[in-house]
Amino acid sequence: MGVKQITYKEALEEIYRGLSDEEFQRGLRIGVGNAEGKFLKILEAHPELRELAALVEDAKKKVIANLEHYIDMAMESLRKVHAKPYFAHTAEEAREIVLKIVGRGKTIVFSKSMVAEEIGLQHFLEESGNEVWETDTGEFLIRLAGSKPMHTTAPAIHLSRQKAIELLRKKLGIKLPDNAMHEEIVGAIRRFLREKFAKADIGISGGNALAADTGSIVLVENEGNIRLVTGYPPVHIAVISVEKLFPSLQIALAAAIVQAAWAGLYPPTYLNVISGPSSTSDIERKRVYGAHGPQEVHVVLVDNGRVAASKHPVLSGQLKCIKCGRCQWECPVWQQTANLWGGPVYGGPMGMGWTAITLGIKEAAELSMLCLGCGRCDEVCPVHVPLSSIIHWLKQQYTGEGEKE
Amino acid sequence: MVLDARDVISMIKSNMEEKGLPLPIDKSVIYEWSKGLDLPKSGDYLLYTGGLYQLLPYIESLVNQLEKVEKSKAGGLALRFAKKVMKIVDVSKLVSKPDKEVKEYADKVLKSITILLKEAGISFYYDPELDGYSGALLYDMGLVKSFKRHAENVYRLLNEKGVKRVITIDPHTTHMLRSVYPKVVPGYNLEVKSYLELLAERTDSLRFRGGSAGPVVIHDPCLYARFENVLEEPRKLLSAAGYEVREPRRSGKLTYCCGGPVESLAPTLSKKIASNRIEELKEYASTVATLCPICFANLHRVAPSNVRVVDISILLVERLETHGS
Repeated sequence: MGVKQITYKEALEEIYRGLSDEEFQRGLRIGVGNAEGKFLKILEAHPELRELAALVEDAKKKVIANLEHYIDMAMESLRKVHAKPYFAHTAEEAREIVLKIVGRGKTIVFSKSMVAEEIGLQHFLEESGNEVWETDTGEFLIRLAGSKPMHTTAPAIHLSRQKAIELLRKKLGIKLPDNAMHEEIVGAIRRFLREKFAKADIGISGGNALAADTGSIVLVENEGNIRLVTGYPPVHIAVISVEKLFPSLQIALAAAIVQAAWAGLYPPTYLNVISGPSSTSDIERKRVYGAHGPQEVHVVLVDNGRVAASKHPVLSGQLKCIKCGRCQWECPVWQQTANLWGGPVYGGPMGMGWTAITLGIKEAAELSMLCLGCGRCDEVCPVHVPLSSIIHWLKQQYTGEGEKE
Repeated sequence: MVLDARDVISMIKSNMEEKGLPLPIDKSVIYEWSKGLDLPKSGDYLLYTGGLYQLLPYIESLVNQLEKVEKSKAGGLALRFAKKVMKIVDVSKLVSKPDKEVKEYADKVLKSITILLKEAGISFYYDPELDGYSGALLYDMGLVKSFKRHAENVYRLLNEKGVKRVITIDPHTTHMLRSVYPKVVPGYNLEVKSYLELLAERTDSLRFRGGSAGPVVIHDPCLYARFENVLEEPRKLLSAAGYEVREPRRSGKLTYCCGGPVESLAPTLSKKIASNRIEELKEYASTVATLCPICFANLHRVAPSNVRVVDISILLVERLETHGS
């Protein structure tokens, strides 16, 4: 996979196509209207969440300052719980590691993961001769649409109900009436994916957090698909970017809760903790791995620019990000463009920094010029990622007047 | 077609180097408004306008042209027109015709501010030779080296004339002089206050007419709200003047941008953001109080005819016993 180059003009042209796409704008307007401000109500009812966010921020700083140490610690802890850890320096390495575990001719169920998107994993596994199904409802729909995720936690934010009906009919032959309501659409997707879960050889997930001290993967969700992806097939592969590491399980759980709250989903319906493969010792106290859940758990830790960024005076700030997507909901530019602005995978204010880290500073700098510098993103970030300062630094790289990287 | 950010940036940079202003206009534009106003020549605070209100009519004219370029299809006549617009020399012709209505408005704001300062008994003076542009646009666009040079020049001049305290009148200039200059100009030592802060300290000295002045919805500028903590002052002043201040859903620290910062790079996008904001504001009152010239320009451009977008200084003067209409 070659790196997709971005130029300012191309990015703006794509944004303008989005601005004049009435269906895109309608979907976005309804979605943003329903989401914006929701987290303020959550914080009003649960002010203690701010204290939790402060703990998460402190832990993040600690990990970023010594990232390689925590990577080693996590690898060791994963081995202790009988999971198989891998470290991938690049996207290509990560894809190859996963392919080696998966092989060919398999059925794979995915639960939405931005890092899988970042390394182009789904597409790569399909091209390598596997049947791949995304099970997160939003991600499932955008895969049918051939689109990219338009928000970190709400990938299909730009798709209307009518568009969802049309996609299910056209792409999968699912019978739905013109006026099918949200419940009917979700029900149809659920019925379609049940069979895929049942026959899947492998489940691939991301990870909201990974506890370096225990090797526990923490995943937060509302749909219940992550439980099935990580619990039903005999093999579970978790692809996790290294900035998701936390010193302890306690703080990793806190990070997942903070992410859910700032994404506007609190309390989360499900919080999953996975520490190695399933096991039982109910027969003569002999421990057997592979009970009802997976027999194998593989954890691929993805660097892809993050370790280098942890030593960078400006970009290290982006590694604090827990990818809740709050900054996207609140950004006046993002509200018009969704992730059409931000790079091939990430978007909006947080997208600038992530694009710089995972793709290149030059590419991110081209996009940064469309930032208003209004600081609304800084105001809402639970862990105080200096988003507008990072973007201002990228602007300096664009004009060639900043300190060299 | 879309504009090329590099063309816009090079235009601004070259104008700044040549004129000290982001547009190719004469520096006299900055102080012409003060003629005949008989402003004090000495006092405790130098009134440093920063020139943004004065640039408004020219910015308005330029943004209109740039928007036409964006709306045109690439190729043929449109492309030739686009190239002409983007050439600095032609831009100077375009901006030489400032928007008349906006110019009158800008002059009125500047005059109103001086009326309010006098009424409040604030000891200030104005020196046309010392007024100028803060370089905010250079900073915002990431032209930090050019900005630093400009800021050093601005400060050198003020320092040579013994200026210690300045009054600023817009959030961009306030932010630059108060929070950004100290980071880039060695030995910088100026006390910077927004006129709204000074007026709010002396609200009792302002003699407003009694009775209600009706509702206004306040649009906080991003820089005042999130970077300079100028939040209570405009509310206090408007309330003292008899206005019923209404808060929109997105106000205070979570105020919403007017779209202004990208108006010269992506006018269509900028206008869409402004429209989004005005749609919200007009639900609260038919008068929108702005505190920043850029916010005024962007919101005014998209406001329906039954919505009055107006600077806070004009609203306040309209309620003064001595000057009110």
